[in-house]
Amino acid sequence: MRYALRNLRRARRRALYTFLAAFYPALILVIMFGIVAGELRGMFESATKLETGHLQIRGGEELAGGALPLFELPDELIFRLREDAAIRYWTVRLDLPALAAAGSRSYGVLVQGVEPERIAEISPIPSLISQGSYITGPGEAVVGEELARLLDIEVGDSLVLLSAHPEAGMGAGVAKVVGIFQAPQAEMGRTVVQVHLDTARKWVRRPNAATAVVVFVNGVSGPWDAWRINQAVEELQRTLPQGLVVKDFEELAPELTLYMRIARPVLAAFSGIFFVLGGLVVLNAFYLSVLERTRELGVIRALGASRRWIMRAILGEALLLSGCGAALGGLLGAGIVFLVEQLGGLRMPGAYSEFLRAFGMEPILHLRVTPWEVLGSVLAMVGVGVLAAWYPAWKAARLEPVEAMRHVT
Amino acid sequence: MSHEPVLQAERLVKIYRTDSVETPALRGVDLVIQKGEFTAVAGPSGSGKSTLLHLLGGLDKPTSGEVFLEGKPLSKLHPEALARLRLKKIGFVFQAYNLIPVLTVLENTAFVLELQGVPYRERIKRARAILAELGIEKYADQYPHRLSGGEQQRVAVARAVVGEPAVVLADEPTANLDGENSRALIDLMRRLNETRGTTFLFATHDMRLLDRVNRLLTLEDGRITSDRRQA
Repeated sequence: MRYALRNLRRARRRALYTFLAAFYPALILVIMFGIVAGELRGMFESATKLETGHLQIRGGEELAGGALPLFELPDELIFRLREDAAIRYWTVRLDLPALAAAGSRSYGVLVQGVEPERIAEISPIPSLISQGSYITGPGEAVVGEELARLLDIEVGDSLVLLSAHPEAGMGAGVAKVVGIFQAPQAEMGRTVVQVHLDTARKWVRRPNAATAVVVFVNGVSGPWDAWRINQAVEELQRTLPQGLVVKDFEELAPELTLYMRIARPVLAAFSGIFFVLGGLVVLNAFYLSVLERTRELGVIRALGASRRWIMRAILGEALLLSGCGAALGGLLGAGIVFLVEQLGGLRMPGAYSEFLRAFGMEPILHLRVTPWEVLGSVLAMVGVGVLAAWYPAWKAARLEPVEAMRHVT
Repeated sequence: MSHEPVLQAERLVKIYRTDSVETPALRGVDLVIQKGEFTAVAGPSGSGKSTLLHLLGGLDKPTSGEVFLEGKPLSKLHPEALARLRLKKIGFVFQAYNLIPVLTVLENTAFVLELQGVPYRERIKRARAILAELGIEKYADQYPHRLSGGEQQRVAVARAVVGEPAVVLADEPTANLDGENSRALIDLMRRLNETRGTTFLFATHDMRLLDRVNRLLTLEDGRITSDRRQA
């Protein structure tokens, strides 16, 4: 190892290149892990907050046409949710497909009957109100800017809502538009109308009806905490009244699940390019190093060094350089991720910001990287570095002493 | 000096082949080196001295014939077994010193012991002892490039003998030294031969150095033309 250590001093520039060849891929991979985790968290939060919650308790599978079955909210379920320490928050929703009409215009919408006093905790709509205010009681409604434009309505106008649920039949009512919200997704701004839960219940003529109980689980900060959700699902499924089903966010937002499943393999493949480039630099550096040292390696072989000793000396150098490079790169990457997060996250540039908005995400990424990801990135780069040095080391180990000692550089 | 053969060559032939050209370097050398001998192989350039030393040291394979080291034939040995044998039984001194430039004098001297697996403390102790014996202990922490040619070659001799090999093979060890340093180096080797009983076989074309040897082999055109013992 002393020989390996001293060799680093011999060709400092080459040692520096080898160091950097391990440093940059590890740095980039760790930062990329941070960004992808930030994206995943953003998507997870927007999907669970805007649409699904961490899990939902429903009355069964979706009906024809996409409507959710109605069910009577059992008292024991409410008691169970109140008492369960694993549940952070829950609220009841009654979603009804409906036709919204104002004046001579009408448009197909999804009416969400919500509990206004509980909804602020989990839905961004109260905070997205751009005109007027959020609903406070029965008979009131908020609509998206796009729907308001299509129906040509303003705050204070009346909105006729004609619901048509396959189980409850037709229901109708008039709600006063008390607020207009700026939706993060165009589809949402065009189709979602929120009214008081009691208003929606009145239209289906069932005072205790619901289509879903949206539940948030304690201790979940992103998709990486999905195990907590799964645990809660299992627990609920065991004790749930008959006829009710539990759906987790993976079932409720399959496109998010798909993205989460492919994001890391895609990242790994992308990072692979940097690793291959890093490996090529290491290979080149060690090949030149062995070529320059041919005579010296011949002497060492002549003195009686085994092939294994030569391999170990050269791979030791590779391990040392790529280990230090990758470790520093990984640590710096983790430091950058930590620092960016401490400064409030990564504000994305214009075009990318729009892209994120389209997916309902805020244009600030909250980066996150785990010690395992840092360790994995470092170890992967060290592995690549040692593997890249293997061929030059193997060549060096097979040098014939006399031939090598005649070598002239 | 005992009559115990350390090195033995039987009908040693070495022919270098490049494309269709064959160049015979050794044309059937028979030789026995006894334990404790201080032998010189003299001869003009191209007479086959280096080739003979390479074959005797197991650094190269003969075209035909056999080399025995302490009775063990070398030609059938796997390169790794040959390396182990060199490590334990043969010390080398090369014409161009060939010290490892990134190691200090002490580390260069202890290098063979490190390869032999001798524990750190012991190898440092033994390396220091031999450096002291050769009068170059003061250079222990210097790097080779700071030393003169004569000093570097002394370090090479220290490295060759520190592992207590059965024989030290020195290929033109004085070729890069001036007359005074050449003489001093041969005297040093002779002293080690006398005090430690180390067997030395060295090649040289400098006739002025031959009065110190107790056996002189003359090699000409790949053949031993004379084998003279002297007091």
